[in-house]
Amino acid sequence: MTDETTGAPAPDRPIHRKTPPATPMVQAWLDGEETRDHLATADEQETAELWTRINSEAAQLKRRNTPIHVQSKILNSLTDLPALPDAPAEKGFRLTTTTAVLGGLLVIAIGAVLGFMLVR
Amino acid sequence: MTTSAPSVEPVDQADADQEIINRVLAGSKDSFGVLIQRYSDPLYRHALGMTGSPDVAEDILQASFIKAYQHLSEVRGRFDAWVFRIVANSCKDWLKNIRRTHVSYEEDDQPSSFSTPEEEMDRNELRTDLEYALARLPESLREAFVMKHVEGRSYEEMAILLETTVGALKMRVHRARESLQALLEEKYA
Repeated sequence: MTDETTGAPAPDRPIHRKTPPATPMVQAWLDGEETRDHLATADEQETAELWTRINSEAAQLKRRNTPIHVQSKILNSLTDLPALPDAPAEKGFRLTTTTAVLGGLLVIAIGAVLGFMLVR
Repeated sequence: MTTSAPSVEPVDQADADQEIINRVLAGSKDSFGVLIQRYSDPLYRHALGMTGSPDVAEDILQASFIKAYQHLSEVRGRFDAWVFRIVANSCKDWLKNIRRTHVSYEEDDQPSSFSTPEEEMDRNELRTDLEYALARLPESLREAFVMKHVEGRSYEEMAILLETTVGALKMRVHRARESLQALLEEKYA
């Protein structure tokens, strides 16, 4: 693009703000807090026109749903039960007085048996 | 599959979700399918809006629900807000890892409401440009814009899901609009 009045080269991608920035009233309209009737100026109407087009495209995206195969794919991926905070498998081995005494008696008994067998 | 508008569910819905969670934790794996069916559409739209790729959105949705299932006993409060944060964080992680400057929709299985090929072409061009402009927004602005304009959520719903204030979200959405307008107006104004 060239500047026709001076003939000076223009930047590769000139930025022209063709529409004015969204005023608070336009933002309020986009937020659903005001109706379009409240956009009084031509600038606001121009900005609103651009946003009507953008919103129309966004509305297309709004209608997109999860592809039909995805839900079953997710369900089929769930092979194990979810982890439980008090699941027995997560408790691990806990040494209590009872288990210590029983363990000790078992060791003594095994030792006695082995000793008896060796003596014989 | 649900087609209702995405929204933060009322309290009784949260109670119903908790009942389902209890059933799943008691061993009923299939009950988790109810939660998937209930929330997959809004979550998919969020992932799609954030990533711009149907394939990536599917992957994020699948991984997020599996993660939610595995950590189901850790849900505190509302399931919908909890699983939304899993998806939202996955999207942000993906965006951080994939430095993409342009994204586009690879497929469009939605019925067209345009009657002529010219209108269809214009529509596809605007969609591509909108996606391109969205991809250039900072993550927090893109997230706010997608939730407001694509998912159709109220600021109050967004505040619950993102754990922030309505004022902060309005600011993000307004800034996102200004940026998008600056990027799109040259062509479409």
